[in-house]
Amino acid sequence: MTRLAQVINLENCIGCQTCVHSCKMQNNVPMELTWNRVLSEGEDVLDGSTGVFPNLTRTYLPIACQMCQNAACQRVCPTGATYKDDKGRVLIDYDKCIGCRMCMAACPYNVRVFNWHEPVRDPDFNYGGKGVPVRPKGVVEKCTLCKERTDEGLDPMCVQNCPTKARIYGDLDDPNSEASKAIREHHAYVLLEEQGTQPSLHYFE
Amino acid sequence: MSDTKSLSHGLTRRGFLKATGAAAGTLGLAGAMTATSDWLAPTTAIAEPEERKALICHQFHCLSSCGLECTVRDGRMVLIEPQTFEDGTKGQICLRGISEIQHTYSVDRIQTPLKRVGERGEGKFVQISWDEAIKTVADAIKESKEKYGEDSFFFRKSTEASSSHNYEYLPKLLHADTGGSWGLDRGQANGSDPSGLTGNGLAKNSTKDWQNASTIVFLGYNPFESSITWSDNFTKAKANGAKMILVDIRFSPTAQKCDAWLPVIPGTDLALILGAINAVISNEWYDAEHIRNYTSLPYLVNVETGEILGKPDSKTDSTGKTVEFKMPMIWDEASGSPKYINEDGIEPAIDGSWNIDGVEYTTQWELLKKQMKQYTPAWAAGVTSLDEQQIVDLADVFANNGPSILAFGFGGPDKYANADLLGHANAIFAAITGNTGKKGSGVGWYGGGGGIPSAQGMTAWKMPDEFKTVKNKVAMYDMPYKENNIHCALTFGDCFTLESGSANNMLDWVKTLDFFAICDIYHSSAVAYADIVLPALSKFESAEEVSDVRTGRIASSVYLNQKVIDPLFEAKGDREIERLIAAEFGLEEYIPESNVQLAKHMLQNPTKNMEGMTYEALREKGSMRFKGYENYLTGETAFPNQTYPTNTGRIELYYENLLDLGLAFPEYETPEEAYRENPKASEYPLMFVQGKSRYRIHAYYSASTWFQEYFGPVVNINPQDAEARGIATGDDVRIWNDRGEFVCTALINNSIMPGTLFMAETTYSQYYKEGFLQNVTNAYRQERCYDMKFGPQIPFNDTLVEMKKA
Repeated sequence: MTRLAQVINLENCIGCQTCVHSCKMQNNVPMELTWNRVLSEGEDVLDGSTGVFPNLTRTYLPIACQMCQNAACQRVCPTGATYKDDKGRVLIDYDKCIGCRMCMAACPYNVRVFNWHEPVRDPDFNYGGKGVPVRPKGVVEKCTLCKERTDEGLDPMCVQNCPTKARIYGDLDDPNSEASKAIREHHAYVLLEEQGTQPSLHYFE
Repeated sequence: MSDTKSLSHGLTRRGFLKATGAAAGTLGLAGAMTATSDWLAPTTAIAEPEERKALICHQFHCLSSCGLECTVRDGRMVLIEPQTFEDGTKGQICLRGISEIQHTYSVDRIQTPLKRVGERGEGKFVQISWDEAIKTVADAIKESKEKYGEDSFFFRKSTEASSSHNYEYLPKLLHADTGGSWGLDRGQANGSDPSGLTGNGLAKNSTKDWQNASTIVFLGYNPFESSITWSDNFTKAKANGAKMILVDIRFSPTAQKCDAWLPVIPGTDLALILGAINAVISNEWYDAEHIRNYTSLPYLVNVETGEILGKPDSKTDSTGKTVEFKMPMIWDEASGSPKYINEDGIEPAIDGSWNIDGVEYTTQWELLKKQMKQYTPAWAAGVTSLDEQQIVDLADVFANNGPSILAFGFGGPDKYANADLLGHANAIFAAITGNTGKKGSGVGWYGGGGGIPSAQGMTAWKMPDEFKTVKNKVAMYDMPYKENNIHCALTFGDCFTLESGSANNMLDWVKTLDFFAICDIYHSSAVAYADIVLPALSKFESAEEVSDVRTGRIASSVYLNQKVIDPLFEAKGDREIERLIAAEFGLEEYIPESNVQLAKHMLQNPTKNMEGMTYEALREKGSMRFKGYENYLTGETAFPNQTYPTNTGRIELYYENLLDLGLAFPEYETPEEAYRENPKASEYPLMFVQGKSRYRIHAYYSASTWFQEYFGPVVNINPQDAEARGIATGDDVRIWNDRGEFVCTALINNSIMPGTLFMAETTYSQYYKEGFLQNVTNAYRQERCYDMKFGPQIPFNDTLVEMKKA
């Protein structure tokens, strides 16, 4: 079996948002939508910090589809548009998506976005990787682990472009992959473990 | 953070939702011009293969010089990725490079030549032809020279609105005034360069040497936003166990990854370093052998006059010029007599006083100790608002947990009128603690390559000697204030509002010019004041197969930039524009006819570390590494032989030329305006600080709609200051002082020190509700710096303001 995933080293995440824009570019993500975000944990402004000056903390938290083993989004999808492929990726068949947004309500990580209107792209042509499907109005979209790249054996664009190599990509079913090793060595954890979603995306500091 | 992996980590559902709202952002502004698609050829008209790749080197301005691989599909740029180098390694990229997917096609591009029809500053233009634009510019230059004289034409070129940073032709061909000192980023350099420890403020080792340091003190330096692509050197150093300390007025992204963060009151970094020097001396944490053997501190100084004891001497420098200097004397402990420092077998004393022929002499070291006595950590704590212990700890870790690096920012602490004194103090701090000339030690600004050699086998394009610029008498930023003979200006990029403070004064002066033309890519802040506007190409466009040869020192590479896409709109490259103007003077033969001709000229004899880098080889590969580049990956040592680039070969720490000002060693001095005791502070109580953002290189990327979703002209305000003025996030706020005012959006952010406001540098004025931030910034010129290497530096941050809800 194959279970493609990322492991993120939060110690190395400098909040630079390069992954956010790499994803937008590669996946032809329209204006107003984003598949990948870097949050300042617990804050409602970009680069906000917690505490009272000068006793402050801030942790950047990159958030995208957690590629759950037990995906809440998949279970609620009435049409089977959300599915898990043979490489462990949770994906969306856009043709089957009816825009009911049940998946968005079910996802505890809030990483799915919806095309409420005709997608507006700036520049106003399709950019990004070859073969990335263009999503129309009325469908949900999210991180695919750069399916079009990873199918060809390339790293996801956010992994390739991370300036501080905070992202490790690999097959969690292969105990010798860099990703599996990182999980073991750094006692990596998942977000909202108690939700029982069994995410493949792991984090460590 | 082991207890933070559950919901208590802040990962509440609410937290996610709140953050989602912020990411969606509302700061975008509608574009003023027609859609770019109107200008693009329909995809069916493209005859070339459907998809191809082109290699370029991007962004000289942040000094990253990233090698990029761009994918072009049906004539449009659709992907930008890091280049893969010959050895198979991937280069670096950051969000700014990626955003060029949109930014290059931005609706705010200048699309055609324009002629002003309204008042200057009004921004009313009509489209004209290139022929008319070029003729108008050339005629204006001719007229100015006839009417006012040869030295009446000002020319300046920016890094953005030019394909290359290597060349500008017109200044020489047309005998232009290029505006002298830039007044930017060299505040500390004025004080640190004379020591020999920095060159133009830059450290002599590169960021790669960070991994060899045990302690790194960052002084007003925030690489995680300004210099993202060399931030991996920070994370490597930290992983190696280095102690990281940041001195910054705000809790920057870099601050959160440091072991200690020292938020000093803006403009008081000097007090902190003086306090740390005091702590080093009083606790005897200094390196006496280093001081004795490698610094000027053993030199004998006349107690009464302060002059160094020595004899006139001279030497030949590397360019063959004779340099006159004073050969200093020390007290030789071996012989018990004064000796010259170049005599063999000397043992210089660092402590003591001696009567030589009836005159009292002591050492520089004794004078330094005496002068630094007043700057106790307790005193420094009072000035900076830090705790005394924090200052002692800084001195302790820097001196005793070496090797240590003092990495100061370019443009943060530089933007105060006391920056030269800070630069001098930085050099002293590093030198007396023995943190020079060793692996993992040093002082200066780290970036852009540092000690990594540049290309050595390039053939420069030369012009006959008769063509030279006129002697600059008044720096550009000083022109509104000092008599000068400039009446006609041509700038590539916006120098008038980016390279001067107090924009109202500068733009009032610009309005007095007979003629001003600007060549730019975007509608930058100065465009509205121009008589003629010329559209420039971005780095991605070229009318030819190649655009430019350039070196990237971080990647140790020479790049031959390939054409990515055809020129957009009616934009032209800077070389071509300069050639068109030169042709009006019959001088076009001195400018390369094409990019290919220039590239072939530059690569005609690729010797030394450029062996094999012919035009053909580079044309094929896009980039090639310097020979021997791999020797620099582990971090080379600056001054490995403990020989310094001064007349004596020692680190010079006593500035005899500043004796009259009492500044042979630095004294504490407040900033010119931004200090709490300033009487002006009762009217303007807030310190206004600008700095780098990951969403800008200075004003560049203002026109990126991808970034506008997250970021625009916002002022960061501490909750206390906001509450006192009834201001909430998202409100429009008016910020003002005697120099001017502007309106922007408020962002309440507890990362900001109470009593200060923080904004990212500038942003094109069109994106503000009213005015723009340069309207309030200080244009003070520090008098003593006119005699220094870089002249007075613009103290943008030395600024007090008040703010209210607009």
